[in-house]
Amino acid sequence: MRFMVIVKTTPAIEKAGALPDPQLLLKMGKYNEELLKAGVLLAAEGLQPSAKGVRVKFSGNSRTVVDGPFTEAKELIAGFSILQVKSLEEAIEWVKRAPDCRPGDESEVEIRQVFEMEDFAPILSEEQIRHKVRARAQLPYQTANQ
Amino acid sequence: MRFMVIVKATPESEKEGALPDPQLMAEMGKFNEELIKAGIVLAMDGLHPSSKGARVKFSGKSRTVVDGPFTETKELIAGFWLWQVKSLEEAIEWVKRCPNPHACDSEVEIRQVFEMEDFAPILSQEEIQHKVRARAQLPYQTVNK
Repeated sequence: MRFMVIVKTTPAIEKAGALPDPQLLLKMGKYNEELLKAGVLLAAEGLQPSAKGVRVKFSGNSRTVVDGPFTEAKELIAGFSILQVKSLEEAIEWVKRAPDCRPGDESEVEIRQVFEMEDFAPILSEEQIRHKVRARAQLPYQTANQ
Repeated sequence: MRFMVIVKATPESEKEGALPDPQLMAEMGKFNEELIKAGIVLAMDGLHPSSKGARVKFSGKSRTVVDGPFTETKELIAGFWLWQVKSLEEAIEWVKRCPNPHACDSEVEIRQVFEMEDFAPILSQEEIQHKVRARAQLPYQTVNK
């Protein structure tokens, strides 16, 4: 099963122009190498602060663009990884082992199960599912259930 | 430049056992094929409702696990793409052309992805090379082209 591990941001991380704390970056690097050695890590990315981003609101045919930064730090994403594990419980165990945060930097990680094309069997034909699997296999860096 | 394009959830997408509307999936499928032909898509995935997920809260050494579902629907992720484009403006133009991912009003957030070189002010060249090499070993890691 694949899970997306979503690291929520904090006000400190969101500071305009902020780069991650180098100590934390290196600790996360060590942790990711553990995950990689265990064959669990498929991909990982960090996101720049929301000041460099935008939101696009969809309503019928209308599209409204709102520039960052966005204020609800607890709900913004700082980064994510994709894990290949046997269960949600295993994903939780791995996440609990991520580096400690400093006092005042309390943070949250959300773990969500990723859809496999086969999950769409109730609404798509075998043919349609195979088509999607083939299209995705062409993507240069698509993670796939192993 | 690489961007993560994040489709936020809606009450419909969050329903227990929810699967996408087949009609919307077909429209989205067409849009994805355009994006793929244009060489923009590095990766993409949809997420099951948050009822199948969990959150882990970190405070110092302590870890608290909270089961889904989570109630702040508008801030939950339903799916994402990773795109390679020339600028934020190009990413915005593509997102505006996307069919509405949901049957109701919805939101897509566009965030720039860190490249290892962005850490030059805080990491040595050696440390950056190390990270680039480690990431190159990930089976499905996307990299800036």
